[in-house]
Amino acid sequence: MGPRDARVAARLSVFTLLVFIAPAYTWGQASGTTLTGVVTAGTGSAVSNATLALKNSEGAAVADVKTDARGRYSIPDVQAGEYELTVTAEGFSTSTTKVTIAPGADAASQTADVTLNAPLSLGDLGFSSSQTQGSAADQARLNKRTHMLKVHQTLGLIDVAPMVATVATSFGAGGRSTSTSDRWAHMALGSTTADLYFTSAYFAIFAPKIPGTQTRGGIKLHKTLAWIHGPGMIITPILGAIAFDQKSKGERVHGIASAHGPVAIVTAAAYGAAILSLTFKW
Amino acid sequence: MKNRKWWLVPLVLTLPLFVAARGRAQESQWTLEQATLSYHVSHPLHQVEGVSHAARGKGVCHEGQCDFLIAAPVKSFDSGDSSRDLHMQQVTKAGQFPLVSVRTHLPASLEGAATIDADLKIEFAGVTAEYKKVAFQQTTEGDHVHITGTIPAKVTDFKMDPPSLFAVQIKNDIPVRVDMIWRKEK
Repeated sequence: MGPRDARVAARLSVFTLLVFIAPAYTWGQASGTTLTGVVTAGTGSAVSNATLALKNSEGAAVADVKTDARGRYSIPDVQAGEYELTVTAEGFSTSTTKVTIAPGADAASQTADVTLNAPLSLGDLGFSSSQTQGSAADQARLNKRTHMLKVHQTLGLIDVAPMVATVATSFGAGGRSTSTSDRWAHMALGSTTADLYFTSAYFAIFAPKIPGTQTRGGIKLHKTLAWIHGPGMIITPILGAIAFDQKSKGERVHGIASAHGPVAIVTAAAYGAAILSLTFKW
Repeated sequence: MKNRKWWLVPLVLTLPLFVAARGRAQESQWTLEQATLSYHVSHPLHQVEGVSHAARGKGVCHEGQCDFLIAAPVKSFDSGDSSRDLHMQQVTKAGQFPLVSVRTHLPASLEGAATIDADLKIEFAGVTAEYKKVAFQQTTEGDHVHITGTIPAKVTDFKMDPPSLFAVQIKNDIPVRVDMIWRKEK
């Protein structure tokens, strides 16, 4: 190939580039408007890393960009139409702005600056810091209270079984024709009932109290009934011991010991009512 | 020429007042006057409703957009049983996070609309949950706006273990009914 042919070939190459590649390059360029702007705080300082979401009039997402360190953003190739620009940033209230890109707009870019305002705070509502800020100690007190009351509840429910058995064996232990084994069985069951009862009561009595709480609802009746079954659970075993002693000597149960049965029944009834008063407790 | 300059002085002096007045016209505030918030808990054995009248709220509108914040102390919810309420406070970590707050962002143009679809951001028990397009009914009487609706909250939205009774958990849904009266500040 001579120098002339080389020049022709070079010109043809340039021509080919111009004819085929340049239009393709132009076609690949953004044909819409570039939406730019700056996001600033009410104080005037730039807000970096703010998220801008551009949606078209049908609510479809068009672009999702973030501001740079100087609060600037740029959304290229935005076609003509109505848009909603939502700006969110940590520590600011959300801003939503209508943006209109006019059809046939001559400008290659359009500016939409956004100012973000500080969000409303709990202080704006008149809450004091003591009302808005909790503490781990307060939560720990609530957790301990719940834990102790759950143990109280569990032991209290378990105690129903020996209590029923104690009442059932009382007929054999207190009747005219009683056996020593009946009395011992009754006493053993009664002791188990009392042990479980006082263990359960410990968890209720020593559960942390929450300041400022006024007792109301089913728990009020539950606590009131404790003033019946609590003393009953102390008196019943004492009377039972006296009655046991009298029976063991071959005597009829007499004197104060004869109140053992009625006191036990009242105690058991109050206990049952106390359980029923809290049928729902989560 | 000198006279014309003097004529301009009052205009220049009063211009900031007009600008200020226009600025005020673009801003408005709302105050929550009355509110009843009630959550509903369902269990096969029980239906429980906890009610609070202690919510406070405020709304601020700038250039056609309004931000609202409503908050209530968790311990202000009363289900009729103090023991159950204390247990609710324990489950919802009210000791550490004593308030439940709701934020929403609405266009001012919704004022007067019969229905509002609001996106809510609820902070409760140390967790923020978002609810999209929650429908509220709105009626306006003078400066007062009455808003009612139900927030479809769930226990698991706030990463809490549903409490149980007799080994049966409560339902995950705890819808919160909202009944509020807002006053527009003049």
